[in-house]
Amino acid sequence: MLFGKKRREPAQVREEKSLYPVLHVAGSLQEYQKELVKKEVASLWELNMVGRAFAGVVKEADQFQTKLQDLGLSFANINQTAEQFNQVRGAVAQTVTEAQSQMEELGQTSMQVQQSFNEMSETFSQLQAAVREIQQCMGKIVSIADQTNILAINASIEAARAGEAGKSFAVVAAQVKELAREIKELAGEVDTGINDVESSSSQLSSRILTSQETLGQNTDILAQADESFHRITEAAEGAVSVQTEIAGVIQVSQQELQTLRQFFDRIKDQYQEVVVHIDTASRMGTTKSAMFEDMENMIAQIPPLVKDLERDI
Amino acid sequence: MKQYYGMSRSGNLAEAIQGLHSPQFIMLLSNDIQFEEHVAALEKAFPGVPSIGCIGMCYLTDVVEHGVGVIAYSDGVTAAANVLENVSTMPVKYIKRLEQDIQAVGGSSRDTVCIDFCAGNDACVLTTIHTVLQRRGISLVGGTGDQSKVSANGRVYPDAVAYGVVRNQTGRVKTYKENIYHQLGNYRFIASDTDRANYILGALNGKPAKQVYKDILHVTDEEILTRTFQNPFGKINGDDTCIISIKDVQGNALACFRQVNDSDVLILLELGDYQAITRNTIKQICQDFPRRSAIFSINCLFRYKLFSEHNYMQTYLRDMAALGCHAGFVGYGEHYNNRFVNQSMTCVVFE
Repeated sequence: MLFGKKRREPAQVREEKSLYPVLHVAGSLQEYQKELVKKEVASLWELNMVGRAFAGVVKEADQFQTKLQDLGLSFANINQTAEQFNQVRGAVAQTVTEAQSQMEELGQTSMQVQQSFNEMSETFSQLQAAVREIQQCMGKIVSIADQTNILAINASIEAARAGEAGKSFAVVAAQVKELAREIKELAGEVDTGINDVESSSSQLSSRILTSQETLGQNTDILAQADESFHRITEAAEGAVSVQTEIAGVIQVSQQELQTLRQFFDRIKDQYQEVVVHIDTASRMGTTKSAMFEDMENMIAQIPPLVKDLERDI
Repeated sequence: MKQYYGMSRSGNLAEAIQGLHSPQFIMLLSNDIQFEEHVAALEKAFPGVPSIGCIGMCYLTDVVEHGVGVIAYSDGVTAAANVLENVSTMPVKYIKRLEQDIQAVGGSSRDTVCIDFCAGNDACVLTTIHTVLQRRGISLVGGTGDQSKVSANGRVYPDAVAYGVVRNQTGRVKTYKENIYHQLGNYRFIASDTDRANYILGALNGKPAKQVYKDILHVTDEEILTRTFQNPFGKINGDDTCIISIKDVQGNALACFRQVNDSDVLILLELGDYQAITRNTIKQICQDFPRRSAIFSINCLFRYKLFSEHNYMQTYLRDMAALGCHAGFVGYGEHYNNRFVNQSMTCVVFE
C-alpha cells in the first residue's frame, strides 16, 4: 500500500513537529519591532525638530506682533502729539480773543477820549471867541477911558477958567481923570491876562491837536494789530487743518495696521493649531513608545516559552 | 470590610498577628533573614487564607525596617492569591492562573483591585498582567520586594510575582499614583543606545546620557547618584509621567532603576512642593471617598530616604493615618496598572 508514496524521514517529522517556526516568527517580529523602534526614534526626532523649528516660527511671529503693537503705539503717540496742535491752537485762539477783546475796549476808550478832545476843542473855540469879545470890550473901555481923560482935561481947563467957582469942579475933573487912568491901567492889566489866557489856550489847543493825532495813530495801530491777530488765528486754524490731515493719515495707517494684526492673529491661531497637532503627535509618539515596550515585553517571552515547550515535547 | 495592621520590630510574627482574626486576605512584609520562616508560620496560623508576601519594610505611623509586618483584610472581602513564575523570562507561561483567579473572584473595575509583590523584571511582569486586567478594567498597585523572592499562599518563590486579586464587597475601590516632581526647564530627550535588560540609558538626543545630565545640572560623576533624589528622569507616556531613578554611572551611560527603551521620550524632573502635593492627594482621597475602610500604599525607598532626610516621613505617615486605616510598605519600585515607576507613591483606597 506504500507504492507511489515516499516514507517520511524521522528528521523531517521532527522538523514538522518542531516549534522552531514559532521561534522564527518571534525572531522576525523582534527584528521588525527593533526596526520600527529605530524608525520611531527617527520620527520622534524629526517631530522634535519640527516642534523646535515651529516654536522658533511662533516666537518670531510673537516678536513681529509685538513690533506691530509697538508700531500701533507709535501711531497713537503721533496722533496724541498731533492733537496737541489743537490744544495749542485753542490756547492761541483764546489768547487772541482775549487780546482782541482788550483792544476793542482800548478802541472804545480811545473813541471816548477822541470825543472828549473834540468837546474840549469846541469849548476852547468858544473860549477864544469869548476872549476876543472881552478884548474888544476892553478896547472900547480903554477908548472910553481915553475920551473920559480928554473930557477931564477939558473940564480942568474950563474949571481953571472959571476961577474960584470952578475949583471944586477942577477937583472932580482931576478925580475923573484919575479914574480914567485907573480904568485904563486896569484894562491894560486885564488885556495882559487875556493875552496870557489866549496864549495858553493856543498852546493847549495845539497839544490837544497833537494828542488827537497821536490818538489817531494809535487807532491805526490797533486796527493793524487786530488784523495781525486775525492772521494769527488763521495760521492757527491752518495748523489744525494739518493736524486733521495727520490724524486722517494715522487713522488710515492704524486701520491698515489693525488689518495686519488681524491677519497675524489668524496666522497665530493657525500656528497654535499646528502646535496643538505637533503636541498631539508627540504625545501619541510617547504612548507608542510605551506600546513598543509592551510589545517587546510580550515578544521577548516567546523564545524561552518555546524552548520550555520543546523540552516537554 | 476591615483592615488589620500588626508588626513586630523584633521580627516576632506571633506578636504581629496577635490581634488578627478570620482574615480573608493577608500581606506579609518580612526581613531577609526570617522570610521563609515567617511565610511558613503565617500559613500555619491561617491555613488556606490567600496571602502574598515579600521582603520589605512596612509602616503604619512608623516604618519598621528590620522586623515583620502583617496587613490583612476581613469582613467583606473576596480574594485570591497566586504567583506568576519565571518572571525574568516568561511570566506569561502562568497567565492562566491570573485569569482563573479573576474569574473566581468575579469582580469588576468598580470593586476589585490587583495587588502585587514582584521579584524583578517588573516592566515585563506588568505588561503581562495588564493584558489580563485591562480586559476587565481592573487596576493594579504593587511594588518590588528585596532579594528577588516573594511568597504566595504559604510558599516562597524565587523569580516570581505574587499577586492578590481583592474584591471589596462593601463598596468601591480606586487606585492613585502620586508624583512629587515636576518638569525642570524645557528639556525633552529621545532615548537611544539603551540596554533594556540592564536598565542602561546610553544617549539622550544622540549625546552621551551622563554628559547631558552633568551639563544641565553641573554635577560631578559622584554627585549624579545622590542628585537623583532632586532630579530624576521622567518618562512621558501620553499625559502621564513615570519617574525613573538613576542607579549608577557606567562609562558614558547611566544605569537606572527601571528599563529605558529606545524611542522613550524623557524629561528632567525637579522636586516640587512635596508637602503640598501629599496634602493634595489626601484631600483628593477624602473627596473621592468620604467613608474609607482601608488604604494600602507603596512608597518608594528613595522617597522614604528623601522624606527622612527632610524630617518629613513621620509627619507624612501621621497625615496619611488621619485618613483612617492606612498601612503600606516601602518598595524598590512602584507599580500602577502597567506602569513601573520609581520615587513615587501608589495606593489603593477601599470604600
